[in-house]
Amino acid sequence: MNVPAISIRGLQKYYGTYHALRSIDLTVKRGERIVVCGPSGSGKSTMIRCINRLEEHDGGTINVLGTELDDNIGNIDEIRREVGMVFQHFNLFPHMTVLENCTLAPMLVRKTPLAEAEALAMRYLEKVRIPDQADKYPGQLSGGQQQRVAIARSLCMKPEILLFDEPTSALDPEMISEVLDVMTSLASEGMTMICVTHEMGFARKVADRVIFMDRGEIVEQGSPEEFFTAPKTDRGAQFLSQVLGH
Amino acid sequence: MTAIDTGPVPLGPTQLRRLRRDYFSSPVSTLISVLCFGLLLSIGWVLFDWGVLRATFAAEARQPECQAAGGACWSVIANRWRLIFFGLYPYEEQWRSALACVAVIVTMVLSCIPVFWTGKRLTAVWALGFLTFYVLMKGGMLGLLLVREEQWGGLALTLFIFVATAIIGMPLAIAFALLRNSTLPWIAKTTGAVIDAVRSLPLISILFTFAIVLPFVLPDFVLQEKLYRVIAGSALFFAAYQAEIIRGGMQGVAKGQDEAAMSLGIPYRHRVARILLPQAFRNALPATINQFVITFMETSLVVIVGFFELLSSANAAFGTSDWTFAFVEVYVFVAFLYFIFVFGLSRYGAYLERRMATGQR
Repeated sequence: MNVPAISIRGLQKYYGTYHALRSIDLTVKRGERIVVCGPSGSGKSTMIRCINRLEEHDGGTINVLGTELDDNIGNIDEIRREVGMVFQHFNLFPHMTVLENCTLAPMLVRKTPLAEAEALAMRYLEKVRIPDQADKYPGQLSGGQQQRVAIARSLCMKPEILLFDEPTSALDPEMISEVLDVMTSLASEGMTMICVTHEMGFARKVADRVIFMDRGEIVEQGSPEEFFTAPKTDRGAQFLSQVLGH
Repeated sequence: MTAIDTGPVPLGPTQLRRLRRDYFSSPVSTLISVLCFGLLLSIGWVLFDWGVLRATFAAEARQPECQAAGGACWSVIANRWRLIFFGLYPYEEQWRSALACVAVIVTMVLSCIPVFWTGKRLTAVWALGFLTFYVLMKGGMLGLLLVREEQWGGLALTLFIFVATAIIGMPLAIAFALLRNSTLPWIAKTTGAVIDAVRSLPLISILFTFAIVLPFVLPDFVLQEKLYRVIAGSALFFAAYQAEIIRGGMQGVAKGQDEAAMSLGIPYRHRVARILLPQAFRNALPATINQFVITFMETSLVVIVGFFELLSSANAAFGTSDWTFAFVEVYVFVAFLYFIFVFGLSRYGAYLERRMATGQR
C-alpha cells in the first residue's frame, strides 16, 4: 500500500502550439485530499483530465495506483475503473433514470448483477440524500440534485480516487452547499480526492494540501493554512486577493 | 352608460368562446373563415358525391353502367384488386402472397414495439419474418409450387423491398455514421467519399447498375437473383442518406456524455450502443421518419429494372381496354394504400417523440 495514488512526473501538454501544461510534478498519497485552484486557463482542469485520459498528455509520465498511463488500452481501462470523475456540467445520461445512470457502469464494466447493482445504487443515492428521486429522469431534477446524482454515479464504481472538475461552478448559489456537504462527508471517509474548485471555504475546511496553478505550472503548494494566510508567491497572493477580496 | 356595466356578461361554453376568438374576431377574419370553410365544404361535397353518392360499386358493372351513374367506378377495384395487390404472382397461389404480406406487416409492427428493441429479439423477429416471407413467396419446398422472384409483384413486393431496404440499410447507415466520425482520418475520409459518391448518384442509376451492369462485372457466384441485387442497391442508397441523418443526430449529443461514460470506464461499443446512439436517434427522429417515407415511395422506381411493385401493378390494372377509362379510381385507391402506410408511420413517429419526451421534461 505504499504505492502513491497518483504520481505525475514532468507532465507536458500542448494544444497546437499553446503550451497548456509545463512540466508538472505531483504526487498524491492514498487518502489525501487536494484542492487545485488558480485563475481560469491555468491548466487545472487539463491536468486532472490527463489523469483519466480524457486528455492525452504529450510528455512526462503519469502513474495511477501503480499502473502506468500509456497508450495501452488495457491500462487506460484499468485506471478509468478506479478513478471516478465529477464534471462541471454533471453530464448525466438524460435518456436514463437516475437509477439507470447509477447502475449502468457497474453492470457493464464490473459485471454486477442487476439486483446487486440497484442495491448498490440505492445505497449511494441515500448517501447523497436523494434516494426518493431514483426513478426520475435527470431533466426533472435541480442542478444540485443532478450533481449529487453524478457523485453517486461515480461512487457506484467504487473508485479509489475521485476527481472533481469545478463541481459547483454551474450551480445556482443556493445549491452549492448541498453538493459541498456531500463532498465533505466523502473526504471525512478517507476518499482520495482531487478537487478543482473556486470554493475557498471548502478548501480551507477539507484540503490536506492546496495546489496553486498559473499559466500551466504549479506555482506553489502547501497546507491550506500556509497558502491562505501567507502565500509564498506574488502570483498566489494576487490570486487570493482577487478571489477573497469581495 | 351601456349594458356592459349592468353586470357580468354571461359567458358561453369555453369551446364556443374559443371558436369566436380564433375565427371570428374581426370582420376580415370572419370573411376569411367563412370563405375557407365554404371551400372545404364544397370540396368535401364534390368528393363525397363522386366517390360515394354517384359511384358504382357492383363488381359486374362496366364502362356503360359507370358512365351512366356519373360517379367513381369502384368496379375496377372489385375486378382488379388482386392484380394491384399481387402483380404477376400466379393467380391460384396468391393466398401465399397475401400471407407473406401479413408476415411482413407483422415483422414491421413488432420491430416498432420498444419491447423488441434488443439485438437478440430484433434479429429473431427479422429472421423469422424474412424466412416466413421467403418460404411463402418462393415456395419450391413444403409442397408449395416454386414461384420465381420475377413473378413477385404488387403490394407484397413493395412491402418486401421496403422492409428489406430498411433492415439492411439501417445497420449499414449506423456503421457509415460511426466510421465517418472515426478518429483515424483515412477511415473517416474514405467513408465520407463513399457516402458522397452514393448521394451524388440518382437512385435510378444505382438500381440500374446493380440490376443490369453488375452481372457483367462480377463473377456468377457473387450474384444472386436480380431482386436481391436491387434491394442491396436500394439499401446502400438508403444508408448513405440515413448515415448523414444519424451523424447530424450525433452532433447534437454533448461531448460531455462520452467523457462521462469514458470516465466510468465504459468501453467504446457500450458507449456507442447505450449512450451515443439512443440520444442521436432521438435527435434525428423526425428526419429519420421522413427518410422512411421517402424510401417507401421510392420503391416504385424498381419498375425500371422490370419489377411490378404496387404502382406499376396498378398501372397494369387499368391497362386493359375495358378499364382504361377508370385510371383515376385506380390511382385514388393506390394513393389510399400509400396514405395508410405513411399516416401510420407519422403517427408512430409522434408516439416515439412523446415517449422520448418523458425524460427531457
